[in-house]
Amino acid sequence: MSLLEIKNAHLKLDNKEILKGVSLSVNKGEVHAIMGPNGSGKSTLSYMLAGREGYELETGEILLEGNPLNEMSADERARSGLFLAFQYPVELPGVGGMSFLREAVNSRRKFLGEEEFDHLGFVKEARKEASKMFVKDEMLKRAVNVGFSGGEKKRFEILQMAMLKPKVSILDETDSGLDVDALKIVSEGVNAQRNKENAIVVITHYQRLLDYIVPDFVHILSDGAIIKSGGPELALEVEKNGYAGLINAA
Amino acid sequence: MLHDVKEDYVRSIKKYTSSYHENHFRSLASKDFNGWPNPLEEKWRLSRLGALSRIKMLPIKPDLKKVSDSNKKLGSYILKFIDGAFREDLSSELPTGISLKELNEKESLEFFHKIKESDLNNHPSTNVSLSCTPSIIKLTVNKDTNVKELIEIFYEGGHQNFSVHPVLYVELKENSNLSLIENFNHFTSLVMPLQLTEIQEKGSLKSIKIFDDNDDTYNLSAHCALLSKEATFNSFSLVKGGIFTRSETHAYLNGTNAKLNLNGVYISGKKQHHDLTTAIYHDVPDCTSKQIVRGVLGGFSSGVFQGKVRVAPDAQKTDGQQMSKAILVSKNANANAKPELEIYADDVVCAHGATVGELDDDQLFYLNSRGIPENKARQMLIQAFLKDIINDSVDGQYHDYIFNEAQSSLSSILNEEK
Ligand SMILES: Nc1ncnc2c1ncn2[C@@H]1O[C@H](COP(=O)(O)OP(=O)(O)OP(=O)(O)O)[C@@H](O)[C@H]1O
Ligand SMILES: [Mg+2]
Repeated sequence: MSLLEIKNAHLKLDNKEILKGVSLSVNKGEVHAIMGPNGSGKSTLSYMLAGREGYELETGEILLEGNPLNEMSADERARSGLFLAFQYPVELPGVGGMSFLREAVNSRRKFLGEEEFDHLGFVKEARKEASKMFVKDEMLKRAVNVGFSGGEKKRFEILQMAMLKPKVSILDETDSGLDVDALKIVSEGVNAQRNKENAIVVITHYQRLLDYIVPDFVHILSDGAIIKSGGPELALEVEKNGYAGLINAA
Repeated sequence: MLHDVKEDYVRSIKKYTSSYHENHFRSLASKDFNGWPNPLEEKWRLSRLGALSRIKMLPIKPDLKKVSDSNKKLGSYILKFIDGAFREDLSSELPTGISLKELNEKESLEFFHKIKESDLNNHPSTNVSLSCTPSIIKLTVNKDTNVKELIEIFYEGGHQNFSVHPVLYVELKENSNLSLIENFNHFTSLVMPLQLTEIQEKGSLKSIKIFDDNDDTYNLSAHCALLSKEATFNSFSLVKGGIFTRSETHAYLNGTNAKLNLNGVYISGKKQHHDLTTAIYHDVPDCTSKQIVRGVLGGFSSGVFQGKVRVAPDAQKTDGQQMSKAILVSKNANANAKPELEIYADDVVCAHGATVGELDDDQLFYLNSRGIPENKARQMLIQAFLKDIINDSVDGQYHDYIFNEAQSSLSSILNEEK
């Protein structure tokens, strides 16, 4: 059984068809990359998976470990092990980073039947994970994403991923806006979490990220449908020839 | 035949003061009370008192034996008013440099005239409370006195079908400092607190008011503040109790470089109606006023913020900022904001903004996408919304206390919506 299964997903936004029959199977231990032109529906696909209101499927099905997600709310999906690193992380004025993380992690642990962290235990754990992502303690004291630089926001996303230990992570352009060093840190952070039990879907425009996070499969999403799938060499082809050739050939 | 209880109350006030000489402050005040404000009056359009005229009511005779059920919470010194009467037996002795007394008749008349010169001259609490208060209590902080300890005032008591009339006069002499926290905890009644605050040159007052009367109390607080040159007044109100609470504050910036912060939060649920009405008068140059008001409304509640800022022609270099924001957590709640800027000077910086809305969808989704359940996510965002302003408005050592006070009401409102 696949860890994540998307079957013929159709979705409309404002009466406009954005996803036009996306199918994708992701197995345990795999990394999939989704590439595609601007506006092809990559973020829409990730919002749909995460369960954002207004992004319900017209037809089609999504399954996490065989369980249908369609009827589950965003928070239920997240507690079940789905994680989305946002292309544009949202600022939460007045919500402290540490308490935000703790609330999120404890919600997940509760679902898993694990013991919730107490305050001190959590702070220790968070600091440990944060240092791995080069996220300063001071950043955890600030309001979530408020005044963070673009790169800091992305590192904070991956820190959340590390702490939530999801089964399936969708990283929506986590590499955009990162300098070379930050790209390395973030990639190492992601790679450290790869294991036989989970899976990662990286959405990116740049082949470079895939040098660091080496995918097993690469898919090209164009105008709401996957028009081609292949191995890492497909990303190199995109890098060299752009999407035009692929799209025309499809 | 319909029994006209409104007339009854007006008559009982007049009767209450009939034994006084016609120039006595009580009879002067009672002459000006001829019933509740008409809803056609702009100031009262959004907060109508019609229901009061259908309630049979009399001014209370304070029960001086009533015991108090509140305990000192934060303050080093406490002052208690029960049924509107100051209770020396239940209050602390004050530190040196600060004194408390009952105004005599002549002083009361002067007090009456001071209030009557303000725009609160026709507020029902002005007229009724001056007619019926047991006595006007004056708290004076001497010149150059820095009162380090917090003074905590409790207003309590009340009885069904009776009105309660505490009147307080606070004067800070030149270059003195004071921090006050006032708690309104009345039992079923109509409470009409009247307060005059005078801050002399370089004086500084920090004031917190918590309106937490019981579920069916009306509170019509009227507060007039006069600021002299370089005076500072930091005022924060938390309105959460009562069935109908209107806190009306008029601040006069009469001396240059006076500074005013007039912030407030209301948290309303069930059928509560909460109203923060303010008027700020910039009459001289170089003064600053800042106002942030936030409301959270659930159930069938309604909230009102009315903020008038008047900048006189001479008041150049005025800096006046006003922001109000209300969040509705129920479809049946509603909020009204009415900023009113009258600017007659040209070299001023004045900004205002008012929004009424729901929680931000992007923020909610972000929290949900981290596994945080809908209700918890809403609670976190609303808490953040309130924490922000509380931290901005009151001293660090009171953050937690005030936040917890807000939090307790917030929880019950959010539970209602579940
Ligand atoms: N609420 C909406 N109503 C209508 N159309 C929408 C809405 N939101 C997004 N779209 C459209 O859906 C299409 C897909 O957008 P999406 O954000 O998924 O693209 P993307 O592949 O992530 O692009 P990028 O590479 O720029 O991030 C775009 O054409 C966009 O304009
Ligand atoms: Mg996108």
